[in-house]
Amino acid sequence: MQRRDFFKTSFVASAALLGNSTLAGETKQPIDSQSISKIAFPEKRPLITYSDRPPLLETPRDGFTTAITPNNEFFVRWHSPRIPTHTEIQDYRISINGLVDNPLYISLENLKNDYEQVEITAVLQCGGNSRSAFVPQTSGIQWGSGAMGCAKWKGVRLKDILHNAGLSKDAHWINFTGYDTPAFNKAPDLIRELELHEIKDDIIIAYEMNGEDLPYLNGYPVRLVIPGAYSDSWIKMLKNINVTKEYKPLYFMDTAYRIPDNECECETQDNLVSKTKPITTMNIKSLIGYPTSNTLINLNSKVVAKGVAFDSGHGIKDVLISVNGGRTWESANLEEELSPHAFRAFKFAFIPKNKGKITIMAKAINRLGEEQPFAKDIKWNHGGYKYNGIDSVTIKVV
Amino acid sequence: MKRLILLTLLTLSTLSAEYTEKVKLPNVTFPMVIDEDFKVMQRNCQWCHSFGYVINQANQSRKFWHKVVVKMREVYKAPISKRDEKTATDYLFKHYGNGKLE
Repeated sequence: MQRRDFFKTSFVASAALLGNSTLAGETKQPIDSQSISKIAFPEKRPLITYSDRPPLLETPRDGFTTAITPNNEFFVRWHSPRIPTHTEIQDYRISINGLVDNPLYISLENLKNDYEQVEITAVLQCGGNSRSAFVPQTSGIQWGSGAMGCAKWKGVRLKDILHNAGLSKDAHWINFTGYDTPAFNKAPDLIRELELHEIKDDIIIAYEMNGEDLPYLNGYPVRLVIPGAYSDSWIKMLKNINVTKEYKPLYFMDTAYRIPDNECECETQDNLVSKTKPITTMNIKSLIGYPTSNTLINLNSKVVAKGVAFDSGHGIKDVLISVNGGRTWESANLEEELSPHAFRAFKFAFIPKNKGKITIMAKAINRLGEEQPFAKDIKWNHGGYKYNGIDSVTIKVV
Repeated sequence: MKRLILLTLLTLSTLSAEYTEKVKLPNVTFPMVIDEDFKVMQRNCQWCHSFGYVINQANQSRKFWHKVVVKMREVYKAPISKRDEKTATDYLFKHYGNGKLE
């Protein structure tokens, strides 16, 4: 079945879906009832806290009513427990080495003064965002929908730096490592490898996030920004860029963060697919930021629902809203497009005319015509990656 | 005027995130079940991660938890003895299991 056909089928099937299905093996809505920690992490407001070491923090649903996610609400996900603080920032360096003519040792000052400065607004999302939707539940932190955010990143094009270093003719793979380290020496670092042809103009080494230095927990002082790609590739606290001829086998590329390499990117627990691929490109998704579940609304009072939609950079064309559990759909008002890679904020006003529960749903459609499937139509994968179901929030009219 | 300069200075100092000392993260307590085997979890898991990594996983099979424990030793090099491997697996399955062996 072609992917497009799959989406069409899911649209036709919509009338059959009312409320949550409890059938075994059907993907459901991600968890939406997590409590916010009483404890705030440095430079953050209190967030949903899954771990303190390494820190794993999720943005609550109400953080998704605007196209830009404030730095103090932006989610946090580290892999290694040892995360240094760069107190002597003048000594911070990023090395560029391997198959280059001039190995470089770039300071923050070099980065800000010796290269063209560029900005891009782009979504950063964990591949396991919304993992809690999958049935049966998979390994990994059971994230709700807030392991994502959108910021304006400022920095320098990776291409310009590689150009300055001068790639040798055998150069084929570019490896990125951060300054965070595992507890034990021989444990794997989180390293990403990009193939040379993947290095697009919009990949930058960023030192600013929404007009401020990157927060410590988001990778201070610099991180890789790869618009359209999941966050496991956006190496934080960037330390080293190594250029090689051959692909180096790596744990986080070859074992973790992988999905089945088939048309549906799916498998079952009894029949795991042996041929897999890295998660890389994001799919189309949206989230309702307001109202949140169980909000009480007065009868006949105007509700302005708000949320965000995004894809891997084709851009959002339409967001359809249903206020009757998926029976009928109407277009939301889209706000300005900050960039094709950014959250597209949307608004939808309605007046509830009946008392009782109302289920609000949001479905994004991109410029390629791809649209979000219903949760129940999303097929399972062993890592619980890439969930992008139509979002659903149930409120109560009193 | 003086006040304005002071305000400007204060604003600038908050915008620049330069860190003069190591950033300290708060300690959060993740409520694990405490029984006679809990000390095995205490001495093996927290080298690399908090108990949040355990309680925020889904309830899983015995085979799943055993694979996790072995992964912690094989991939992340946690010094987990054969004996603790079994105790940790039993503990995890007992308190965070789904009742299925596989």
